[in-house]
Amino acid sequence: MKQFIARIVSHAPVSDCFFELTFDWGRSAGVPRPGQFCTLRVSPYTAPLLRRPFAFSSYDEKAGTASIAYKKRGPATELLAGKAPGDSIDIIGPLGNDFATLTPPDISRNYLVAGGTGFGPIRFLASAFSQTAQGCVLVLGCRTKSQLPRFTALPSARAIVCTDDGSEGIKGTPLTYLESLAPDPGGKAAVYCCGPLPLLRACHRWAETRGYPCFVAMEQTMACGVGACMGCAVKVNDAASGYARACTEGPVFDSRRMVWT
Amino acid sequence: MDLSVEIGGKKLANPVGVASGTFGYGGEYEQLVDFSAIGALYTKAVTLGPRPGNDIPRIIETPSGLLNSIGLANVGVDRFISEKMPYCAGLPCAIVVNVAGAAADEYAAVLDKLEACDGIWGYEINVSCPNVKHGGMAFGTDPALVERLTAGLRGRTTKPLIVKLTPNVTDIRDVAKAAQEGGADAVSCINTLVGMVIDVAAKKPVLPLGTGGLSGPAIRPVGVAATYAVSRAVSIPVIGIGGITGAHDALQYLLAGASAIQIGTSNFVDPRTASDVLAGIREFCEQEKVTSIKDLHRFIP
Repeated sequence: MKQFIARIVSHAPVSDCFFELTFDWGRSAGVPRPGQFCTLRVSPYTAPLLRRPFAFSSYDEKAGTASIAYKKRGPATELLAGKAPGDSIDIIGPLGNDFATLTPPDISRNYLVAGGTGFGPIRFLASAFSQTAQGCVLVLGCRTKSQLPRFTALPSARAIVCTDDGSEGIKGTPLTYLESLAPDPGGKAAVYCCGPLPLLRACHRWAETRGYPCFVAMEQTMACGVGACMGCAVKVNDAASGYARACTEGPVFDSRRMVWT
Repeated sequence: MDLSVEIGGKKLANPVGVASGTFGYGGEYEQLVDFSAIGALYTKAVTLGPRPGNDIPRIIETPSGLLNSIGLANVGVDRFISEKMPYCAGLPCAIVVNVAGAAADEYAAVLDKLEACDGIWGYEINVSCPNVKHGGMAFGTDPALVERLTAGLRGRTTKPLIVKLTPNVTDIRDVAKAAQEGGADAVSCINTLVGMVIDVAAKKPVLPLGTGGLSGPAIRPVGVAATYAVSRAVSIPVIGIGGITGAHDALQYLLAGASAIQIGTSNFVDPRTASDVLAGIREFCEQEKVTSIKDLHRFIP
């Protein structure tokens, strides 16, 4: 983990509402892993005030660049969208845990489920799995065809697209696809999910009925991002306090630990 | 130029501290900051037993500010001593433990346990947390209670005793004077302001308890005014807090009468704020031929 000023290498829309920002990665900060995040200071002024957390969507070791994917949804991301290649940005990272630290052994099939901007970290995870030759099914949900990210195809991941309006792929959510699957005889599958809370909850419930382990990337408003402020607490069922910090004990949790409401 | 600060007969190497609740127990920022540039680390509040903290969500950003309702989430004094203090004690900065309780005897019990512990420079008594039902601000808004609590703790330690004041009162000077009467060595000025944000679509407050404590640049003028008033009402040092983002902001507090300052919310924005502030104060004092922090107080009568 380090704080550094990075130069933006590229910044482009990947669909009609999502952007991908690629910047020089300060190698001495450590190697970003799928599920981890960094915080960006988007303005030198006092509004927006806090740094904003973004999960990594890729890391290119050779080029020494890292990327994040985001959707414009407030003043901070509006400002971020105005950054151009060559501009510099204040980064702290890599932060939090990653999917791999929780991955159980002997898994032959991975369901990688993403909703909305969750496609960023899930794609990053898929590319890591493709290097270890594990079987992957990438299930991607979006509202409509025009929102679907134009991401590079991954060699060993089969991509299933679901749109709410049926304009592309399966009409419905990623759950529509998952629930259509015949029970897996081997039972050696795992589920990874990143996206809005209802999708995480639904994935957890589906995985539970199938007996699969499920790992979810939790989102919570953050202030420090390093475990100091206790602001980003999420509810867990195995801590004396009843809470865990999304920034340091997460953001990736075994879904069975979460209190789902 | 001498930037050291004396509080209760003990010296801080420089006037820049990091505020309670914004720097954890130090270790969280190990890879990001140079602790030798920090005059004092004010720890996350420590209570007698562990506290889980308040229901979620706990924070929301406001215009140039942050509204929080953490609820003094902490590991409790025993685990603080066994798990957190060994790291703190090894840091090059002064460790000021922020002490909180639901009742006077709880504050005393926490202090007694900490007294047996090495590496503590002094204590900051939290009578100003707006996010707990008992103790906290309920103490800090009543001058008589503050005086009695401070006097009780005064009898238990010779280390510097700093009382952290709440701005949520009619006249903060009354509480500051009560702390001085009780034997406080300094006052921290100010803790957060009570605030509320309402989710219009949901038609309810964003924070489960309704209100939270407002911090950040939005409250800076309130903090500077309180520091100005309090430093003229008491003879003990005033530690200015509230919305400091850089040396320019810190100098407002020092010129207003503060002997030291604390960086709070800005640690979240840029963990290097404290070292930048110290460098900026030094540069200003050199330029203005100011010889000490005290010397800054002559400009505004």
